[in-house]
Amino acid sequence: MRTVSGISGTLSVLTAIFWKGIKHYIRYPGSLLIYLMLPFLFTLLIFGMGRFIGGANAAVNFATRTGTTNVVVYEMLGGAVWMTSWVVVEDVGVALRDEQMKGTLEQNFLAPVNRFTLLVGISLTDIAITTAIFLIVVGATLAFTMPGAYLAFFQAFLMLLIGLIPLFGMGFLFSGFVIKFKEPYIFTQMVNLIFGTLTGTYYPVTILPYWVQFLSGILPQTYVISNMRQIILANQSLVSLYGSIFILLALALVYPTIGYTVFKKLERDAGVTGELSKY
Amino acid sequence: MDPVEVRALSKSFTTKEGPILRKKRKSLVAADGISFSVPKGQIYGLLGPNGAGKTTTIKMLCTLITPTSGDAFINGYSIVEEPQKVRENLGVMLTGERTLYWKLTGRENLEYFAALYHLQHSDTKKRIDYLLQLLGLSDRKDTVVENYSTGMRIRLSFAKALLNEAPVLLFDEPTASLDPQSSRLIRDIIRDLKKDGYAIILTTHNMDEADVLSDRVAIIDHGRIVRYGSPSELKEKVKRNDVIEIEGHNLSDQTADALQSFSEISKVAVSAIDSNDNVGLLRIHAEKGKEVLPKLLEFLVRKQVSITKVSFIEPTLEDVFIAETGRSLRD
Repeated sequence: MRTVSGISGTLSVLTAIFWKGIKHYIRYPGSLLIYLMLPFLFTLLIFGMGRFIGGANAAVNFATRTGTTNVVVYEMLGGAVWMTSWVVVEDVGVALRDEQMKGTLEQNFLAPVNRFTLLVGISLTDIAITTAIFLIVVGATLAFTMPGAYLAFFQAFLMLLIGLIPLFGMGFLFSGFVIKFKEPYIFTQMVNLIFGTLTGTYYPVTILPYWVQFLSGILPQTYVISNMRQIILANQSLVSLYGSIFILLALALVYPTIGYTVFKKLERDAGVTGELSKY
Repeated sequence: MDPVEVRALSKSFTTKEGPILRKKRKSLVAADGISFSVPKGQIYGLLGPNGAGKTTTIKMLCTLITPTSGDAFINGYSIVEEPQKVRENLGVMLTGERTLYWKLTGRENLEYFAALYHLQHSDTKKRIDYLLQLLGLSDRKDTVVENYSTGMRIRLSFAKALLNEAPVLLFDEPTASLDPQSSRLIRDIIRDLKKDGYAIILTTHNMDEADVLSDRVAIIDHGRIVRYGSPSELKEKVKRNDVIEIEGHNLSDQTADALQSFSEISKVAVSAIDSNDNVGLLRIHAEKGKEVLPKLLEFLVRKQVSITKVSFIEPTLEDVFIAETGRSLRD
């Protein structure tokens, strides 16, 4: 059989993995529907709790602490980014363990493909999915609440794209851990809740204790959410947020590097211990 | 160098056993100095009971498990030093139907794996059509695999192993769970592949299959090759004895052990046929079977064994295993 090598070989592998993932999402759209609905449902939940706890002063208190009266957009931006990291944790983080449980991981590892390429391929599917979630959730919210905010929407989208790099780096890191420690769903639920709590999803991180804010500071979602709110709700330009963009770019180097190193180490160990074959 | 050269391949795993907080590390030897080679156009059968080390050996050969020591060469490439090259030269079918994406169609599964093997797009379609035709799956190629029968999934998994036309093929229980017709089809294809010059490693529980397909057979037990040779050579060595097969209720290991005290009997192995109904099978190697049989039956009746069938049979590879280990392959 004739084979393709080099970059075109890798590209054809990545394309195949990408379409495999997309076909799974399209044929079984339940998870995609959940991802699209959750930001709206969580916002409603937060909105209701705010009204209940804050009473008549809820809106004023909200504006004092966040600098905006647009509760819906504020919460929806946090929710949309949370869903993005949710997809990364659920899909990239659990992808290999999921394949292991289905029995297909070994089949992929039997192929002459760099095993890390498999993770990158899965990430490509998820970039498409997270992008779709963002465009639909935030696009629909802005269309009803701030029609005409096209430029801000576009800049917020660019912000998301920058944030995806460290996020997927984290996904690679989790992927290695999940193969090693099993129990993926306990792990993902825990991580998703921690992310929702620490990254300012539904409130500014400044209300958290200082030591907790330090943890928020090493999570890329914190900067993505904050910057999006600055762009859409406070009319800031992307350029004016260069400080936090710089931090995000630094995290975009750090997380994928750590993720790759840990993944390779755990993958090597799995070969020695025979972990790959264990369901 | 032969397409497959295995040299002193060993693998030990460390397990933790015991109650929480007092777990102790234990070393388990799964493969111990396995060596063999497979020339072009030959089928090498690996036989052994569950846990004997067959699957560990296979997984080391296809680079899923790293050996503790030793090495193997697939088409000249070391599994330790050049795993990527090894994978390019291997077509592998691992046991079971869980080796496919159930939410993709048969054709989509093969297209996906063809891309993973870097097959050129223009050749892929032709190759996939050919394999689907060969395995009798053309009519169902656009059906999602979750709607396939077990037999169809196994045939598709077999097709996947042939996708990249690798010179070395590795089949782990290729006909397990298949109906007789599909098993025959797979066996015929394996024979054709052999004629075409592929070097094939086959593991199977099916003694007849190993017998008719393999040019050479290695019997593995406790991680070691205890005997190897052509099926006829191996069987020749046990032909000195008669092989008596006795089927009945209430056959136990204790009964088999007690039979060992008969001077005329060289080996006895017992295996369960139907554990719910307590039906078992005794396989006895005796020097003068016809002479010892009355004594044997009388002994069994005294031990409350209700005998349903007695037969003298031609020795099979199962008997070679019994002669070497004193146990049945079905243990």
